Parts: sequence; C-alpha cells; structure tokens
Amino acid sequence: MIQPAQRESGTASQRLSEEEKAMRKMNIYTSAIKNLAPLVVLGMVCGAMAQNAKTRYPKMASVDQYLMADREAEIALARSAAPESIARNAEVLVLGRNGFETAVKGKNGFVCIVGRSWTSATDEDYWDPKVRVPMCVNAAAAHSYLLRITKITNLALAGGTLAQVNETMTTAIAKQEFPPMEPGSMCYMMSKQGFGGDSAPHWPSHLMFFFSDTDPAAWGANLPGSPVVGIADSSEHLTQFVIQTQRWSDGTDDPQAPPHVHP
Amino acid sequence: MRQDKVGTIVINSFALLVVFGMTYQARSQDATTPYPKMAPVEQYLMERNAEIQLARSAAPDSISRNATILILGPQGYETAVQGTNDFVCMVGRAWGAAFDWDEFWNPKVKAADCLNPQAARSVLPIFYLRARMVMAGRSKAEILSAVKAAFEKKQLPDLETGAMDYMMSKSAYLTDQGGHNLPHLMFYTRVKDGKDWGSGAAGAPVMSSPYWFFSPNQQPQMKGLPPILVFLVAVTNWSDGTPAGEHNE
Repeated sequence: MIQPAQRESGTASQRLSEEEKAMRKMNIYTSAIKNLAPLVVLGMVCGAMAQNAKTRYPKMASVDQYLMADREAEIALARSAAPESIARNAEVLVLGRNGFETAVKGKNGFVCIVGRSWTSATDEDYWDPKVRVPMCVNAAAAHSYLLRITKITNLALAGGTLAQVNETMTTAIAKQEFPPMEPGSMCYMMSKQGFGGDSAPHWPSHLMFFFSDTDPAAWGANLPGSPVVGIADSSEHLTQFVIQTQRWSDGTDDPQAPPHVHP
Repeated sequence: MRQDKVGTIVINSFALLVVFGMTYQARSQDATTPYPKMAPVEQYLMERNAEIQLARSAAPDSISRNATILILGPQGYETAVQGTNDFVCMVGRAWGAAFDWDEFWNPKVKAADCLNPQAARSVLPIFYLRARMVMAGRSKAEILSAVKAAFEKKQLPDLETGAMDYMMSKSAYLTDQGGHNLPHLMFYTRVKDGKDWGSGAAGAPVMSSPYWFFSPNQQPQMKGLPPILVFLVAVTNWSDGTPAGEHNE
C-alpha cells in the first residue's frame, strides 16, 4: 500500500533531481509541441509526469464515472484504435471495478483497450473521468508495456494519486518486477474517436514504439522536421517513440496530418 | 474528386511498396527482368557534390547537417564528410536491396538514406561490403557468398536493437514503379513475422519485407544469413517539410 509520507521522503538533492527531470521533460514536450502538439501527452504514460503539476481534477471521481456502462461500446471503441483487419482478431479488454478484464479472446496477438486518464492523459487530467483513449498493442507490447498500463490502472482504481503511482511504479521497475520492453513492442493509436482530456482532447492518428533505456536522439526524435517524437523516462527505463500516420483506422484522412493530395 | 486523388496516391504508394517487396506477392522467379546484368560502373556513380546533397536530403536538415556523409567511389563507399551525431547518410543503389529484386542492377535507383547510429554500426557494414564487391565487378552470386562468409567469420556485426533509417528525400529515385518515391522510415528488426506489427493488414500504415530476399521461394539461399525483417512506415512529409502529396513527379 502506498504511504503518503513516502512522497515527502528523499534528500534535497533527490528532490532537486526530480525537479530537473521534470524540467527536462518539459523541454522535450516544448520541442514536441512544435512538431506534433497533441502528442505531448504521450510522455505522461507510465509516470512521466511532473510532480508539481497543477490539476483541474484534484481528486478521484467515483469509480463508476471511469467505467463505460455499455460493454459493447467499450469493445468497439477499443477496436477503433487499429484498422479493422487487425482489431477484429485482437483480444479486447474492458475496464471493470478491479481493473481490466478480458471481454473478447483474440487470436492475432494484438490486445486492444481503452486507456483512462491515469495512463493516457496529462498530469492535469490525471483524474479526469471523461478520458477514453483507445490503443491496440502488439504481442510484444502486451507482454511488456501493457503490464505497466494494467498495473497503473489497478493502482489508480484503488485511489492511488499521481505521485503515489509514480513512486510505486518506479520502485517496482527498479526491483525488476516488470520486464523490460520486449523487442518489437509497438501499438496502434489510430482511432478518430475517444477523448484525451482537456489538455489534448483529440490526438492525431499515430503509431507508438516502446524501448527500454533508449536515447531519443538515436532516432533523431524531437528535432525540427523530424516525424518522430521521442520521450524517455529514466526512472521508468522507458522510451516511447511516436510517428504520426496519414489516416485514421477507418481509412479516412486525418485532417491533423499534412494534406496528402496527389498532383 | 478528393477521393480520386487519395486513391491515386494510395495506388502509387502501394505499387512502390510492392516493388520493395513489402508484400510477399513477389514476381515469379522466371519473369523477364528489365535489368539482367550490371550496368557500366560509371552509371552508378554521381557527381560528388550532388551525391552529398542527395544523401543529406534523406533526413531533415536538423539530423543530416551533422551526419557523416558517404559517397560511392570506384572502390565502394567512402567518407566525404565526417559527422558528429553518429548518423550516416548515403545514397543507396539498387544492388543494396534484396538479391531477388528485378531492379537489382537498375542504375537509375538513387535511394537517399540516413541511418541512425544503431543501423550505422550494424547494417552499414553490409552496405560497405556489397558496394566493394559490386564496384569490383563481382556477380550477384559472388556478393551473396561473400556476405555469408563474412557473417560466418563474424566480420559482420549482429543487428542492433533500434536500428532504423530515414528515407524522406523528395529527390530520391527508389524504383521504376509507381511514383518512384515515397517518404518513409525503415526499421530493421529480428521480428519473425510482419504480422506482429500488423504489416500488410488492410488499412495499416506498416509494410514489411525480408531484407535479403523478397520471395519466400528463396529461403534456401538464406542459409548463413541472419534473418532481418524490415518494416516501412510511410510519413506525412518530405525531409524539407513539405507534405508528401506536393511532390511533382
């Protein structure tokens, strides 16, 4: 169980280190904003969050507000993260009171879920009950990245605050209670539906790639003109790369992508 | 009208991807190839400054201006500009692609390519060896044999995780097919099945191809070669920042 007092522990140098990390992340986000503004929130997954962020949602809403009453609607929303050719054979998880549970068995290794605020929105929106972010992870990510998502979800449903969840995850990862990112881990986030929170309501269609302890510079990420946004979180030993795609999962053009008109 | 235009680019892009072997619907082995043998060496060479400029155009300036630049000389690739960011930019030729590509000897192919540090360390040595062999007039079979021997003797490195490259040049010529070009990123992996990334699924922006041979019929020739599966993700802009659809062909 997370002890609130733990948040106050740590030396001054450790606290400074946290502030420096937060500042560094903010610089990355600023760079990312110039390239791919809405994707700035992606770095917030798995605790890549500044500790002192102001929040519009200061406390947890009732659990019911995070759930989707219509199970079939949640399944459809989860599947909308990837083209139907992938999603129709994917496993689908839906959120229950105690965490994600299997709603549909899959057969192609992909797993589709609707992420909630604690894994899929900015710090400010950590408790926003309206957040619904569909994603379909491939098998490699299901074996590694998704484990973190489901764990964070469990912690949040139990009332874990942003700081508490961050600390718990950092400690667990340091103890190697979670595997490193499996090579080839990636996911589809191509849904035109969903809601990313007040800070980034509608994300562009994109793919994500997950690595352990990889310098974003190695992919040329976050540089002017680069199609790659990269966010590294050393405490989580996680690097996420984002590449925007031209179309939504239903095949229509994403208007946030540059015009794609043949001469 | 807009749908028609989008359809055109999709078709052109798809044709291009097919040519890259991004589907397994490769042409039959006995199909007549338009390039049955190596062209004269000089047809593969470029004017030095033009080659440097084309190589750099593979990636946004923010990456390529600090990259090492290679150019193709009579003995193979050589360093023209020493970089500082561990990226390496070059102009790939057709004979750097899959051995069973029917444009393998196409001298028109000028594929601007900026490899990231992992690819520069683990994929580029293969390019170096192949280029040396080609410029020495070696046959495809001899090149393949040399590559296998080099792997067997550990003279070529294992593929590094995270190896990828930028191919976003508006000025590249990638194939005789379709629109000849497409801005994209490539990822070199040990993933065994392209379906693990959703490659080839209808509507997916990801395609894949084995690195050495497009056709599954060529698998016997794979003996001695490390499996490498290359994924391609199309991107929305050329390296100069203009949208992909604005390229005049």
